[in-house]
Amino acid sequence: MEETLLRISEVSKHFGGVYAVNGVSLDIKSGSIWGLVGPNGSGKTTLFNTVLGLFRPDEGTIYFDGRCISNLAPHEIYALGLVNAFQLPRLFPGLSVLDNMLVAARGHQGDRLLNSLFLRKSWQRQEAELADKAVEALELLQLEHLAFSQAGELSGGQRKLLEVGRGLMASPTLLLLDEPAAGVNPKLGRRIFEGIEDLRRKGLSFFIIEHRLEILFDFAHWVYVMDKGKIVVQGKPEEVVENPAFYQVYLGE
Amino acid sequence: MDPLVYVLDLVVFIGIFSIVSLSLNLEFGFAGLANFGKVAFVLVGAYTYAILSQIGIPFYLCLIAGASISAIVGFLVSLPTLKLRADYLAIVFLTVGEILRLIVKSEDWIGGGVWGMTVSPAISLAGISARIDTLVNIGLVYFCLFICFLVVQLLTNSPYGRVIRAIREDEVAAEALGKDRAKYRGQMLALGSAIAGLGGGLYAQYLQFIDPYMFMPMLTFTVWIMVLLGGPANNWGALLGAGLVMLFDRGANVAKDYVTLAIDPSNLQYIMFGALIILVLLYRPQGLLRESQVKTKAMEIVRRGRDAVKNK
Repeated sequence: MEETLLRISEVSKHFGGVYAVNGVSLDIKSGSIWGLVGPNGSGKTTLFNTVLGLFRPDEGTIYFDGRCISNLAPHEIYALGLVNAFQLPRLFPGLSVLDNMLVAARGHQGDRLLNSLFLRKSWQRQEAELADKAVEALELLQLEHLAFSQAGELSGGQRKLLEVGRGLMASPTLLLLDEPAAGVNPKLGRRIFEGIEDLRRKGLSFFIIEHRLEILFDFAHWVYVMDKGKIVVQGKPEEVVENPAFYQVYLGE
Repeated sequence: MDPLVYVLDLVVFIGIFSIVSLSLNLEFGFAGLANFGKVAFVLVGAYTYAILSQIGIPFYLCLIAGASISAIVGFLVSLPTLKLRADYLAIVFLTVGEILRLIVKSEDWIGGGVWGMTVSPAISLAGISARIDTLVNIGLVYFCLFICFLVVQLLTNSPYGRVIRAIREDEVAAEALGKDRAKYRGQMLALGSAIAGLGGGLYAQYLQFIDPYMFMPMLTFTVWIMVLLGGPANNWGALLGAGLVMLFDRGANVAKDYVTLAIDPSNLQYIMFGALIILVLLYRPQGLLRESQVKTKAMEIVRRGRDAVKNK
């Protein structure tokens, strides 16, 4: 069953007089991979940040799972299962790779002050399950051997991978990924997308910004093309590549 | 004075300041909150203890009340300062400390104003020697220290400890990962202040006298030196730092009684503290002991998994 997971309705966001996002409406349905492409500065990341509650939309409303989320704080949106991985990894450099993964878990009992002191039994069971899950994800991302290293010591590509891994740890319903394959070698980039496809089969949905179109278009089910704050083209990847407007946006004439 | 009492006195001071240093370590080392007003919370604990014990309330209730009121003050300070980052937060705390000190100084009815007030000791046994009296204090102080240490050690090695460290590293990312920054900050300041308030109560009952001049900003800085020297985000480091700094501090006081220098040893000590802090920050910014990792079951599981792969 496909149902609408995320509905962005007439959303605008401007900074001073510049409209970064200008009246965007789109739907994300469950169980698929949705792509968002467009030239640099077209407002893709701003749109993501608005959805995540990091920016408040100036106009329009955003619904997630039938619920209006335009006025919620970022941590409340996260709790609903709408999770993101930043374009420029924002890791916790002083914490180990493992801790970076575990901290992203959603609804961990031990995250509460009194539970952490008095209900040690109950959160330790959860902690063990999460550790297994973290190891599994780290293996997928080829980071397992670095589990105890500080995140600040990782290379740029590894940071990117860890950022994606952290998103997976939250067991999200919808995962927003901002250029997951940027800055990693082509083979690993493809592997990341294969991992994404595996997770999609397990019921996760993805909304992905990606400049590596050759990878994205092999996996995405529907692609939105953004330019100057607006959605200019949308469709299945094979339709989009046929569309002259798409070429105009990306390559300029 | 009996030389053994000097040593026992030092042990009591190390205990009391270990408690305060644990509380700053929790706030600054783990949660990244630069509390430059630690003295304010020690003051609240001390004055609460002094006033309540005067009207005949048992000492343990006075200590608990001191910690609770201090926690409330800490939580209240967290509310208007929610959006402030490191340096700005530090300035607010510094002023909170001064404001509270000036209030108790000018409001005579609270604690005798500039003349201070005498405080009855927690446990007073009739006709005992100074040695035994100090030993009783050691028992009380180290019992409290043990409880505080247990709490912070359990807390910082739990998922909760991981979250507060994550917020310290990157507030925005932590919030995007579903952590309510305001909640954690309020809880940290409340708990840190409660521990400092407990330390303040113990301080007041041990010295049996308090006045506003005991709560100068220098006290805050002394605690900061303990944490920075011992190693932020390491609870053992907080104890080590408190031990070393107090040894130095009380040592200077003893030296004053026995040796004549061109400069007062207590003043010389401030100069040396200043130099020490610069040296530590330059050459060993992580402190004597490194930040401890979050030790939970997860670490074990990953280790065990690795061993299993090796043995295959």
